[in-house]
Amino acid sequence: MRRFIFQILVFMFFLSGVFIWICSKADGYTDPFYIRFTTPKQENLILGTSRAAQGLQPAVFQTILNKQIYNYAFTVAHSPFGSTYLKSIKNKIKPNTKNGTFIITVDPWSLSSWTDIPNDSLSFRELKLCLSNTNIVNLNPNPFYLLKNWNDKYYKILTNRTTKMFLHTNGWLEVNFDMDSITVQKKTEDMVRTYRQDHLPNTNFSANRYTSLVETISFLENHGKVYLVRLPIDSQLMEVEKELIPCFTNNIQNAIDMSSGYLDLTKQNDNFRYIDGNHLSKDSGKIVSEIIAKWIRTDMALTRNNIFIDNSASNNQNNLQ
Amino acid sequence: MLFNSIDFAVFLPIVFLLYWFVTNKNLTLQNFLIVAASYLFYGWWDWRFLSLILFSTLVDYAIGIKLMNVEIEFKRKALLWTSVLVNLGLLGLCKYYNFFLDNFISAFSFFGYEISTYSLNIILPVGISFYTFQTLSYTIDVYKRKLEPTLDFIAFAAFVSFFPQLVAGPIERATNLLPQFYKKRTFDYEKASDGLRQILWGLFKKIVIADNCAKYANIIFDNSSNYSGSTLVLGAVFFAFQIYGDFSGYSDIAIGTSRLFGFNLKQNFAFPYFSRDIAEFWRRWHISLSTWFRDYLYIPLGGSRGSTSNKIRNIFIIFIVSGFWHGANWTFIVWGVLNAAYFLPLFLTNNNRNNLDVVAKGGFFPTLKELLLMISTFLLTVFAWIFFRATNIKHAFDYISEIFSSSFFTFPVFDQDDSVKPLFILLIIFVLIDWFGREYEFPLEKLGLNWNKYLRWTFYFIIAFAILLFSGGGQQTFIYFQF
Repeated sequence: MRRFIFQILVFMFFLSGVFIWICSKADGYTDPFYIRFTTPKQENLILGTSRAAQGLQPAVFQTILNKQIYNYAFTVAHSPFGSTYLKSIKNKIKPNTKNGTFIITVDPWSLSSWTDIPNDSLSFRELKLCLSNTNIVNLNPNPFYLLKNWNDKYYKILTNRTTKMFLHTNGWLEVNFDMDSITVQKKTEDMVRTYRQDHLPNTNFSANRYTSLVETISFLENHGKVYLVRLPIDSQLMEVEKELIPCFTNNIQNAIDMSSGYLDLTKQNDNFRYIDGNHLSKDSGKIVSEIIAKWIRTDMALTRNNIFIDNSASNNQNNLQ
Repeated sequence: MLFNSIDFAVFLPIVFLLYWFVTNKNLTLQNFLIVAASYLFYGWWDWRFLSLILFSTLVDYAIGIKLMNVEIEFKRKALLWTSVLVNLGLLGLCKYYNFFLDNFISAFSFFGYEISTYSLNIILPVGISFYTFQTLSYTIDVYKRKLEPTLDFIAFAAFVSFFPQLVAGPIERATNLLPQFYKKRTFDYEKASDGLRQILWGLFKKIVIADNCAKYANIIFDNSSNYSGSTLVLGAVFFAFQIYGDFSGYSDIAIGTSRLFGFNLKQNFAFPYFSRDIAEFWRRWHISLSTWFRDYLYIPLGGSRGSTSNKIRNIFIIFIVSGFWHGANWTFIVWGVLNAAYFLPLFLTNNNRNNLDVVAKGGFFPTLKELLLMISTFLLTVFAWIFFRATNIKHAFDYISEIFSSSFFTFPVFDQDDSVKPLFILLIIFVLIDWFGREYEFPLEKLGLNWNKYLRWTFYFIIAFAILLFSGGGQQTFIYFQF
């Protein structure tokens, strides 16, 4: 019996070693989330959905604020505000952080639920996704994440090298889609149609999610300063959002008051380019990141209820076109 | 709980250690552990279905004891039929009620009558067809006085629910498995090692062969109207390997796991695709089910005795029932009829027992005749699998008619990124290993045992590595769970 168990253990030891080796080959091409669970705990975070994940570039913040602000934003399905996201944020933050900078991007979708009973937290969509089932968020390689969330054969980790998406180690999701006007227009039309026809009728503002946003701000305020940002989107999509929550800023006033500042960039929607109406292009993302970084750097951030308008944005628009 | 899941990878070592280190000194305790582990294993899917197993266990245990004390034939028969009705009643209700109802409604509509009935929204309990047949075999054997009824309820409950083979067989006979629960099991290194090798090979068949074939078989069958005849043939061949890898892989894991606990289960697959005729195929495919039908249906019907018309009737009954056992769909019935039609000429010309031995026994290469016979038998089987896999009869006929069209002569195209090519290499390796080991119960039973220790372990490690590489992507369930 002893020999039998010893042989199994040796065999499993080598096999586990191979599995860890496969996991170590996972990188930014593997999937749009994995890398974020392999980096160390952080002092500064960018939070929100895919708009922030693709739009806000930590390297820009590093240059302007001289601070590494880690992008820990996922998607509207994975990281809407709720206890799941808050728990993961708590896991990702360095426990003794005091002077952190936290940028929370907000929009109506991340405060809404896709169910008839919007406050039924047991049916929240994120419960079966990676943020909910990954408690260890700073292990490299992270076999626990891959065991539970990798949706393909493991050999694909070794061969998966798509050029369309790459998740940087600073958490920024670089997306390289075609940006010709015809493609962008079609994608925007599809996106607007999807949001208007599929999402809008089934989405309701969730007081439960809003409470979680407030709790998230309250928690992060203990570790530093929290800035709320509403990222720009295509004006057609903006109209859909207005139908979902007409007076969005008023609705989240309490959260704004708790934060160190709120920057609403949707007033400048037409100044930027989007890959699909919903997500900023790489160039525009860089500009928006600069705007936010400069806003944080200046004392403007301390002015509450103030919409900061950066004139350089309209200048930059000319450069983009 | 699936064999190819993380849950099972945790469950099995825990039960193994408890079995050999904690409960090993007390046979009843060891059997109780098997019952508890089996109920946990089964309840992992849906604990509510445990009541069905428990009910079936209680009924057959009680009837077995009653049969021991009753001598009057009429009463014995009544007891037997009670067991048959209870077990088949549960099976019929869960599996066949809606099928009969739908066909009943269709028949009336055909004659212009519209009737309203209530269909049942029942989830088919996993493995009900397997454990129902297992418990039935016990009662029938006790009735026929082939087996002493057991008074040991724990042993009987362990026999009914034994987790390695509970949900997809092999369907064990009480005469083989039940007595093993009465005897003290001692750990046997050779047996346990053999078991691990069989588990390894079973996992390879399931994860590397079946799941990869399934991907392409599903693409082709689910969009069959878009593909040429040659591609559809390829789809059917992929399905043939999928179902073989999937089901025989499960049986290998089940038998291997049982060996870890000191039990011997019957061989369920004996390299069926190396058969030289359909009769041989059916002696090698799902052996535990074929022999069950032979012993408890075919022989009581008269078997191969009596008039030719009776023989033909019996052959068709056994194949149709076998098809229907797989599921409540006309496709399975046609599959059964087709196999009966394949088998009948051999049977009527007394050629059904020509190939009792393993092909090319003692040698490596088959003769040209053997090779041609194997290929033709395989193609007949593949053709029948089309009905088995199709969603309905019309789908099957559309599929077949496209095969027999001019598009059969075009080059098969269905995979845009050529990712199917490695699968062909894997299939060749798989068939070769199966061929090397065809004289044994499973290929790794002897293959490599005479090699240098390091080479042998490297060989096992490469198989395990392949399993690891092709794992992931969520647990792929086993096809036979639905039966």
